Amino acid sequence: MEEQKWVLENPTLGIIFVAASFIIFYFIGWYSARAAKSSTDYWTAGRNIGALANGLGMASSYMSLATFMGVTALILKLKVPFVYMWIQFGLSIPLITLWYGTPLRRMGAFTPAHFVRERYGLSTSYVTVIFMILIMLMYALGQMIGVAKVFEMLFGINYTVALICGGALIVGYVAIGGMYGTSYNAAFQMVLMGVAFIIPLGAIMKAMGGTGWYFPPLLYADMVPAMLEKVPDFFDMKYGFKWYFSLIPCFTIGAMGLPHLGMRIYTSKSLKSARGAMVWFSFFCGIVFSATYTMGFSGVFFQATSGTAIAASDYDKITLILNSVYNAPWVLAFVIAGAIAAGLSTISANLMAIGALISQDIIATIRPNLSDKTMQVIGYSAITGGGIIAILIALNPPTFLVVSILWAFGLAGVTMAPLVIMGVWWKQANRYGASSAALVAGLTYIAVSPYLFPNITIAGGLPAKVGMSGALLCVPLSFLVLTIVSLITNRIPALVARIPHEQDKRLVDSIHGWKEYDDERYNSTSAGIIVAAVSLFFVIWAILPGGWTA
Amino acid sequence: MNSTYKKEIWYTLGFSVLLLMCGHSGLIFSAFPGLRDVMILGFPSQYLIPVGMGWIGLMVVVVVQAKLTNQLDDEIEAVNATSTTKGE
Repeated sequence: MEEQKWVLENPTLGIIFVAASFIIFYFIGWYSARAAKSSTDYWTAGRNIGALANGLGMASSYMSLATFMGVTALILKLKVPFVYMWIQFGLSIPLITLWYGTPLRRMGAFTPAHFVRERYGLSTSYVTVIFMILIMLMYALGQMIGVAKVFEMLFGINYTVALICGGALIVGYVAIGGMYGTSYNAAFQMVLMGVAFIIPLGAIMKAMGGTGWYFPPLLYADMVPAMLEKVPDFFDMKYGFKWYFSLIPCFTIGAMGLPHLGMRIYTSKSLKSARGAMVWFSFFCGIVFSATYTMGFSGVFFQATSGTAIAASDYDKITLILNSVYNAPWVLAFVIAGAIAAGLSTISANLMAIGALISQDIIATIRPNLSDKTMQVIGYSAITGGGIIAILIALNPPTFLVVSILWAFGLAGVTMAPLVIMGVWWKQANRYGASSAALVAGLTYIAVSPYLFPNITIAGGLPAKVGMSGALLCVPLSFLVLTIVSLITNRIPALVARIPHEQDKRLVDSIHGWKEYDDERYNSTSAGIIVAAVSLFFVIWAILPGGWTA
Repeated sequence: MNSTYKKEIWYTLGFSVLLLMCGHSGLIFSAFPGLRDVMILGFPSQYLIPVGMGWIGLMVVVVVQAKLTNQLDDEIEAVNATSTTKGE
C-alpha cells in the first residue's frame, strides 16, 4: 500500500476562521481584563470566576493541541495502551482539589510555589520555582511549535515566520487579558474546541457507516467487529503491570504538581465554587477525551478498511485528514480553528504560570516593597519575557525539549507534588526534608532519564523517554527523603531552632480552615513512618528489573 | 481530637482510592488477564470499563466528593463557631 502525504488543499476558509477566532480572543481578553484593579486581580482574576466558567477553563487549560493532533497520532501508533495513559489525566483537578487546591485557595496563594515559600521558606521555594519554570517552558514550547506548524500549513509561510507571528499574537492576548482574560478565553476556547471536535466526528462516523454517530464519545461498538477483523491487536494491552502502574506516579501525581492547573482553583469565587468547577471539569474533560479515543479508533479504522495508508509523518494530522475526506471544507476550517484554540488555551495557562512564578515568587520576594503599579508592569513583562523565551527556543528546539513534554509531568510529580501534599497534610514535614527531597529526587529523575546518561536508566524505550520509569523510582524517593529527613531533623534541637517550625505548623491548621490550633492534628509520627515505608517499598520495586513488558 | 478532623482524613484517603480506581481501572485487567476480552456492550471489557470508569465513573465520584467535602467545610465552620463561643 503506497503511503500518501496529506496537504491542505484550500486554506482560505481556515485562515478566515482562525483570524475570526483571534479577534474574539483579543476582544474577550481586553474586555474581561478591565475588571482587574490590582496585580492580585491580574494573577487570580479577582478570585471571582464562577464554577461553570472555571470548569470549562480548567478543562481547556489541560486539553492542548495534543487533543487534536498528538493523542490521535499516538493511538495510531500505540493503540489501546495509549488510551489508558490518557484516561487517567481526568483525575488531575479532582485530586488537586481534594489534596491541596482548596487549602491553598483558603490561604490566598498565587501559585503552589507561593505555598512552598510560606511553608518551607524562601530557599526551598526558589528550588521549586526553577523546576516549575522549566516544566512550564517545556510544556509551552511543545504547544508553540504545534501552533506554528498549523500556521505554516495554513498560511503557506515558512516555520520561522509562522512561529514568530503566531507566538507574538498569543503572547499579546495573554499579557493584555491577565488571569481574567485567560479564564474567560479558556472557557470560550473549551466550547469552541469541544464543538469543533465532536460534531464533525459524528459526521465522520456516519460517513464510515457507524450507527452511533449521534453520540461519538461512546457509541461506536458496531464498528468494533470490523476493526477486530482488520486490526486484531487493536485492543491488546501489550505491556506489563509495571508499565500501567507507573502511570500513577508519572502522570497522575505528576499532573498534581503542575502549577497552571492548581492556579485555576485559586481563581474560584469560593471553595464550593471550586468544587463545582471540578465537577464541570470532569464532565467536559471526559466527553472530549472519550471523543479523542473515538477519533483515534476512527483513524485506525479508516486506514484498515479504506485501504488508504497514511504516512507516519502525518499521523498527528489524522483529525484533519478524516475531516478533509468526509466533511465539507468549511467544517475542516472550523476544526483547524478548534485545534488552534486548544493549543492557545494551554499556552495561555503556561504563560500565566511562568509570569506569576517570576513576578510573585521571585521578584516580589526579593523586592517586597514595590508598588502595585510596578508589579503590574513586571507582570506584563514576565509573561512577555516567558513567551519570547519559548519562541526563541522553538526556533531551533533541542530534540530533548520537543520529545519531553510528557517527561515534564514526571519532573513536576517528583519536585513539586510531594512537597505540597506533605506540606498541607503533615506538620512534621520541614524545610530540610522538603529541600532535600526536591534536590535529591529531582536530580535523580534527571540522571536516570535517557537524555543525560543513556546508560543509567530504570527501563528502556518509551517508559524511559516519557519519564514513567524515572517517576516510578523518583516520586516515592521524594516522599521517602522528605519524611525521613524531616523525622530526623525534627529531633535535632539545634536544627529545629533555626527554622520557624511552630509558625509552619500553625499554617497547616489555618489552611484547613481551623481557627483554633490543635497540635495533634496532621501531626502523626506513625503516618510519616507509614509513608516512608510504603515509599521505600516502591523505590525497591522500581529498581528491580522486569515487569515492563507483558 | 474531634470527629470532623478524622472525617476529613478519611474522606481524603477514601476519595483518593475511588478516584484512582476510576482513572486506573486498566490495572485490574493488567493484573488479571482472565478478565480481558469479555465483550460488554460490543466492546472488549479491557477497553469499555477503563474508558467508562474514566468518565462516567469519575463524574459520579466527583459529584459525591464535592457534596461531602462541602458539608465537611460547614462542619469545620461549626466547630470553629463552637470554640469561639466557648472562648468568649
